[in-house]
Amino acid sequence: MFGKVRLSLFAALLASIFGTAYAADAPKEIKLGTLYASSGRFASISMPVHYGLKLWIEQKNAEGGVFVKAFNKKIPITLVAYDDQSNTATAATLFNQLITQDKVDLLVSDSGSVLTSVGVPIARDNKMFLFDQTGTGAAFFTPDNPYIALMSDPVSSVWPKPLADFITHDGNGLGIKRVAMLYSTNDFTGTQANAVRKFIKESGTDVEFVYDQGIPTDTTNYAVLINNIRATNPDAVIHLGYAPNDIAFIHSLEDGGVNFKFLFCIYPGLETELLEKNLGVKPLNYIFTYVTSSEIEYEPNFGMKLKEYKELWNKKYAGGNVEFGFNSVAGYNTGLVIEKALSVAESLEQLEIRKAVFSLSGKLKTLDGTFELDPNGAQLGMSTPIGQINVDDHDHVKFVTVWPHEVANGKPVYPRP
Amino acid sequence: MLTYTLLAGLLFGLYFTLIGLGLNLVFGVMRIVNLAHGDFLMLGAFLAFWLFSLFAINPIPTIPIAFLVFLLLGFPLYYLLVPRLLRAKDPEMLSFILFFGLSQVIQALATILWGTSERSIPGGQLGRAIAAILSFVTGRTIENGPIEILGQSFPAAWVASGIASGIGVLLVYWYLYRTKLGYLTRAVMVSRDEAVASGIDVDRISAIAFGFGLGLAAVAGVFAPFLLGSITPAMGAEVTITSFAVIVIGSLGNPLGTLLGGLVYGISYMFMQSYYSSWANLLPYLLLIAVLLLRPNGLLGRQARRA
Repeated sequence: MFGKVRLSLFAALLASIFGTAYAADAPKEIKLGTLYASSGRFASISMPVHYGLKLWIEQKNAEGGVFVKAFNKKIPITLVAYDDQSNTATAATLFNQLITQDKVDLLVSDSGSVLTSVGVPIARDNKMFLFDQTGTGAAFFTPDNPYIALMSDPVSSVWPKPLADFITHDGNGLGIKRVAMLYSTNDFTGTQANAVRKFIKESGTDVEFVYDQGIPTDTTNYAVLINNIRATNPDAVIHLGYAPNDIAFIHSLEDGGVNFKFLFCIYPGLETELLEKNLGVKPLNYIFTYVTSSEIEYEPNFGMKLKEYKELWNKKYAGGNVEFGFNSVAGYNTGLVIEKALSVAESLEQLEIRKAVFSLSGKLKTLDGTFELDPNGAQLGMSTPIGQINVDDHDHVKFVTVWPHEVANGKPVYPRP
Repeated sequence: MLTYTLLAGLLFGLYFTLIGLGLNLVFGVMRIVNLAHGDFLMLGAFLAFWLFSLFAINPIPTIPIAFLVFLLLGFPLYYLLVPRLLRAKDPEMLSFILFFGLSQVIQALATILWGTSERSIPGGQLGRAIAAILSFVTGRTIENGPIEILGQSFPAAWVASGIASGIGVLLVYWYLYRTKLGYLTRAVMVSRDEAVASGIDVDRISAIAFGFGLGLAAVAGVFAPFLLGSITPAMGAEVTITSFAVIVIGSLGNPLGTLLGGLVYGISYMFMQSYYSSWANLLPYLLLIAVLLLRPNGLLGRQARRA
C-alpha cells in the first residue's frame, strides 16, 4: 500500500517535472515563412494564394493560435513573407533567407510551378519540408526528395488526364480528330502538354496532333501563332498557359475574329473573375476548361465550406484588387493542411511534419477536395473535371461539367457557335 | 503563312517603332536614357483602361487625350529631374540610375493604386471605333471586325497602331524638319553647348522634347491592351528593354533608325514565332548583340551622329 503511494507520488513528480518542461519548451510562436509576388508575370496567381493563406493565419491567431500537438497547446503563427516580384533568382535568395536567417518552422512556397521550382532544391538541401501550394511540375516530386508535398491541384503529369480522356472519348465521337496544342514552356504547362500528348497517343484512337508548339511563358502576342494554328485546320485547340497567356490568347482570337470549333484554356476555370474583368463574358462562352474548387461545392470534413469561405473573402478583401478564384481557395487550403498536420505531428522536426502531412492523405477533405498524395508528395486528389463555360442571358458565367461522366451535368456544345 | 507573318511583323514592328520613338527622341536631344519610358507607356495604358471602364470612352478618342496629358506632364517632370542631371559629370550614365529609380516609384505607386492583376479592354472596342470612322469616311456601313490587307486579315487594333505609328513618325519628322522648334531641337541634338552659346533656350527645347517623348509613350500605351494582351503595373520594364533594343538596333538618336529597328525587330520576331517559337523572346537580345558587333552605332548610326 505504502509502496503504491510512493509510486504514485513519484509518477506525479515526474509528470510535473516533464509537464513543466513540456510547456516551457513550447515556442512562443510558429514561424511560417513564405514568398509572394506582388508584381510581375505571376502576381495574379500569387496574390490570391497569399491572401488565402493570410486569411487562415489571421483566423487562427484570432482564436489564440493553431493547435500544436507536440506541445499540446495553441501557439500563434507569425508570418514571415517576402516579395519575390515573380523573379526566380529573387525567389531563390529569399527561400535561403527564410531558412537560414529567419529560421522559419514551416516553409511554404510561392504560387505556381515557376516560382516553386527554385525552392524545391533549396528546401531539400536544407532538409526543410516544403509546403508546395500550387507548384504542380512533375519534376519536383522524386523518390530521393522527402521534403515536399503538393497541397492543391493534381500534379501536372496527371492533371490533364480528364482533358485527354474527354477528347479521345466524347470528343472523338463528336468528330475531333485533329488537335492543335500551344503551350508555354515552363514546369507547369510544359508538363501538362507532355501529359496531354502522352495520354492522347496512348489512347489508341485516331486523334492526331496537327500543331504542337511551345512558346516562352512571357509571350504576349499571339496573332501569328493563331494564324499558323488556323492554317492546320484543327478540330480542337488546346492552349496551355498562365492567366496572362490565356488573356492575351483569347484577346487575340476575339480581335482577329477567329473562332475555333473547340478551345480549351486553363485559366477561364481557375481565375474566372480575372478573365471576365479582362475580356468580358462573351469571349469566354463555350470555352472548355478545368472546373475547380472555386466553382464546385465539395463537402469538407475539415474547415469551411466554399460558400462560407467566399463570404469571408469578400468581407475581408471587399473592393480590393485581388479577385476570388481557385488560387484564393488554394492558399486557404494550404493553411488547413498545415493546421491538420500540426494537430497530429509529434514534434516540429521537418520529417515528423512530413509524416503528419502524409498521414492526412486520403482522409482529409477540405473545400478544395480530397487531399491525396503519392509516395513522392505529388497530389493525386483535388481533381478538376472538364467543363464548358456557358454564358446565360444575364451575362452570368456558368460551368457545365462534361467529363468525367459520373460528375457531368450537361452535354458539350461542339462545334463552338 | 509567309505573307501573314511578314505583314504581321511589319505591323508589330510599327508598334515598337511607336514605343521607341519617344525614347529615342529624349536620348537624341538630352543624351539621357529614360528607363521609365515603359512605365509611362503603362500609365497611358491605364489611362485608356480607366477611361473605358469608368466612362466607356473608346480608346481612339483617348489617343489625343493621352498625348496631351503626358506632353503636359513632361514639362514639370523635366524641370524637376533633367537640368540637375545634366549638370552632373556623366549624365548619360547617371540617367540610368535616376530613371530606374523613377521607374520603380511609378511601378510601386501604380501597384498600390490598381493592384497587381492583369487588366485589359475587351476585344473589338478599337475595331468598333475604326469601323465607325471608316463608315463615316466612306459613307458605307463597315462591319466591326478584322481588317484585310493583301488578303490577310488582321485585328483592327494592329492596323490602328500601325497607322498611329506612321503618324507618330511623320509627326516627329514634321516637328524636327518643318518647324522652328524642330530646327532648334536639331541644333540641341548636334551640340548642347553650342546651342546654349547661340542663345537657344535649351531647357525649353528639351522640356518640349521630353514631353513629346512621354506623349508618344502614352499613345503607345493606349494600344498596349490590344497588342500586348493585357496590362499590369509591372509591364514597363520589359517594354523599356525591348524598345531600347529596337532603338539601339536602328541607332540611338535617329527617328528613322527607330523605324528601321522596329521593323527589323517586328519581322524577325514574327518569323521566329512561326519557325522557332520557343526561342522568340531571345530575339531582341540576339539582334542587339549582332548589330553591336557588326555596326556598333546601329543600322543608321552615321546619320544619327550627324543629326
